Amino acid sequence: MKKKTDVSRETLKIINRQQMKPIPKWEFLVKNWVTWTGLTISLIILTLGAGLWWFGVISNTITPYLWIAVALIFLAGTYLLFEKTKHAYRYQKWQIVMILVIVGLVAGGGWYVSGTAGRIDKNLEGIPYYRKVVPMKMEIWNRPEEGYLSGEIIYVTDMNNFEIRDFGGKEWTITGQNVVIRGRIKIAVSEEIKLIGEETGKNQFVAREIRPWEGRRN
Amino acid sequence: MVDNHRDCEARSDNQLVKLALEDSQYFYCLMRRYEEKLRNYVHRFTYLDDDDIADIVQESFIGAYRHLNDCDCDLKFSSWLYRIVHNQTVNFLKKNKLALKIKINDGDDELVDWLMADTNIEKEAITKQANGQIKDILEKLNPEYKEILVLRFFEDKDYQEISDILQRPMGTVATLLSRAKIQFKKFYEKEN
Repeated sequence: MKKKTDVSRETLKIINRQQMKPIPKWEFLVKNWVTWTGLTISLIILTLGAGLWWFGVISNTITPYLWIAVALIFLAGTYLLFEKTKHAYRYQKWQIVMILVIVGLVAGGGWYVSGTAGRIDKNLEGIPYYRKVVPMKMEIWNRPEEGYLSGEIIYVTDMNNFEIRDFGGKEWTITGQNVVIRGRIKIAVSEEIKLIGEETGKNQFVAREIRPWEGRRN
Repeated sequence: MVDNHRDCEARSDNQLVKLALEDSQYFYCLMRRYEEKLRNYVHRFTYLDDDDIADIVQESFIGAYRHLNDCDCDLKFSSWLYRIVHNQTVNFLKKNKLALKIKINDGDDELVDWLMADTNIEKEAITKQANGQIKDILEKLNPEYKEILVLRFFEDKDYQEISDILQRPMGTVATLLSRAKIQFKKFYEKEN
């Protein structure tokens, strides 16, 4: 019968012959540090993305698609980096994702409430194309040729006939019948509103629907 | 060489790991302590010959020695070592396009009893005619069920250890064990 190899003895011989040494501890520490640093940075960006998303949704100022994408990308990044940590296997995948989503939303809410999200959006305005990618809601609601108009009421004849000044300073005569009114709106001078309808001529707009502006202008 | 050295016998795994970082002779103590168990473990879920098993265990020992400074000593050293051997074995099987097997011996009553607990087969009937059939059904089980059954019933590992070895959450370990039983029962009933 063939004699079994003494694996332990053979391995020790290899270790000694090749003068093998354990990989130094600092290499593992650096690797670990890089993972956790990347994870922390990714988590912060995730929360900022969520914060600007809150800012867009609650203040109704910007269209935050870019920030939703940023939050989702960094949610995936944070998840993948967490999976590389030593004890990540102890948690179910859905638990990790759920915790990250909650942390993102709560911390993002914190960025919004503290005003940081708004300040970041304002500061990024200087970057070329930023406003093209993250447009102000005001711009979306200033496309009369596509049926969207917004502004401040400056003169009221009656509920179906009034005038507004759009946020670009141009004056419009608004008419309409059986207009759908969404939200709490008072058709009165200095009220800010959004309109859906049709541009029927120069500075003429027929409204089908009126909504409150609810947002900031800048 | 610290073969049969009293110094080794009295020391815990973690103490030997610390000493092995300075002196490879102490790593020999750890290898001796686990060599046979690990060979049996690999043998239980592969149909490899002794030489291949020796290669796997040797590669695992070398890998463990190189990564000794990264030893996750929050968990048992044995779990960390089993994890390395498990991964080495799975890689070997993949590389050689071999399937994961499960080897059942006549004395493996605990596994057989557990598997048959919810079936309506009487224990005497099992011992007489069903042992061969049980072996066949075990072969058909999903590979991830097989590796869990080996660790639970042949290596006597608890859920925490299995979780640390396979790097799966404890809840998943429990679920997989329960699914293994359901799949076994399904196959068994289909054949009878």
